[in-house]
Amino acid sequence: MGELFTVNMGPQHPSTHGVLYLELVMDGEIVLSCKPHLGYLHRSIEKIAENRTYTQFIPFTDRLDYLASMNNNLGYCLAVEKLLNIAVPPRAQYLRVIMAELNRVISHLVAIGTFAQDLGAYATPLFYAFRDREKIVELFDEICGGRLTYNYIRIGGLSGDVPAGTEQVIKDFIKYERKQLVEYNELLTYNVIFLARSKKIGILTQETAINYSVTGPMLRASGVKWDIRKEEPYLVYDKFDFDIPTGTAGDAWDRFKLKLDEIEQSLRIIEQAIGAIPEGNPVSKVNRVFRGSGETYMRTENPKGELGFYLVADGGLMPYRCKIRSPSFSNLGALPELVKGLNISDAVCVLGSLDIVMGEIDR
Amino acid sequence: MLFIYIKRIFVGFYSILKGLKVTFKNIFKKPVTLHYPVVKQPMKERFRGMVDLYPEKCVICYQCIRICPTAALDLGHKVLEDNKTKNITKFTFNAELCCFCGLCEEICPTDAIFLNKMYEVSYFDHKDLLSIDLMSNQKYKHVDGGVS
Repeated sequence: MGELFTVNMGPQHPSTHGVLYLELVMDGEIVLSCKPHLGYLHRSIEKIAENRTYTQFIPFTDRLDYLASMNNNLGYCLAVEKLLNIAVPPRAQYLRVIMAELNRVISHLVAIGTFAQDLGAYATPLFYAFRDREKIVELFDEICGGRLTYNYIRIGGLSGDVPAGTEQVIKDFIKYERKQLVEYNELLTYNVIFLARSKKIGILTQETAINYSVTGPMLRASGVKWDIRKEEPYLVYDKFDFDIPTGTAGDAWDRFKLKLDEIEQSLRIIEQAIGAIPEGNPVSKVNRVFRGSGETYMRTENPKGELGFYLVADGGLMPYRCKIRSPSFSNLGALPELVKGLNISDAVCVLGSLDIVMGEIDR
Repeated sequence: MLFIYIKRIFVGFYSILKGLKVTFKNIFKKPVTLHYPVVKQPMKERFRGMVDLYPEKCVICYQCIRICPTAALDLGHKVLEDNKTKNITKFTFNAELCCFCGLCEEICPTDAIFLNKMYEVSYFDHKDLLSIDLMSNQKYKHVDGGVS
């Protein structure tokens, strides 16, 4: 063994997906240990929640996992609705499912594009992914007026009905995206160089995954069939027919492939939801000032994993405590286990396959 | 050994060609990007830009002040001698605090406060962003198309 040295990777590094600082102890090119340091994006969102009314906190949830704002809005609003027993109109429930699944698709598209870029495919896959993502972002822009921080879902419904013609746009997108998925497979998935870089890299076994409470695509890539949408259906997910894709080896390639499979399943859900969407008014009718007491925990399936909101209310206008269980935080915990014994370029590959967003790790 | 080495080179080349086929197909497609400063995309109907106000519509109900999650709005009023009419003394907007959530627009009973279509919001002095006077009709004059 030669002389050990420490490499500080980040916090300003293009492949750390934000301000993540990794302290790598290296023996030559081999990573011996890895220590993630957090806190560079800390905005004390949980404390902010204690000083805002229930409605006022919704814009802040946009800033958790900023690639999946709709899903964060949904998770928080469902938690408050569970706490205060608020009913949601059926049309709003279907629209929520459609929005959440569309957001899952675009979040996975970013993950696919950036993962390919981390492997050295300079910009083409990233730009292709962003080109597809743009279609949905434009649609969201039309629906709620934001391109990244949507702030669309309200407690007890939505902020407004979708404009006319949205269904057709979504139907066209589904047709278009199915064609694009074939293209991604041609360009990336079964490319020999891509396979050589990502197969058998960063293998996460089932046991380790469960021990680190890893959730979402990362857990399913390790072969565990676990999806909150099936296990504990919220909204109207139990009415739709969809599969939970699982991987076998749990390596970086499986995690990548699983995202492509999940996009396909999300498109299936959207297709069914659009066909069954009931008439009515989805706009939230409840008052914007709530008082409640008690405590609740609500978990939803975010694109990155399981997002949980634990709310304690003491009868005041604001929650007494709001604990956020963010998927990226737990998923990042498994990183030191995965990169041991790999080259530094493969460590970048593993980090890219985790698909983390620093916004919800530091909160 | 040598055979495997040469085979790998060929397989690698083949997969590159396969990938290039995808890029080749895209060469003849229309570009999806805009040359931004020259060509500008019109904003969508529900786009949330800078906070704007129709002063004559405002009924001084203070609901926007209460709902604002970041306390970006500041409103003051005085009651005239007849004890009925209220007049706005100041209505300022702090663009540095604003998170462009649109809750004020949503809650306004008379649609007086709204978010306009401005997205190019550079100022020469950042102090100008701290208190934009919503009562003035010159508030966004310096920005292109900023006349509300």
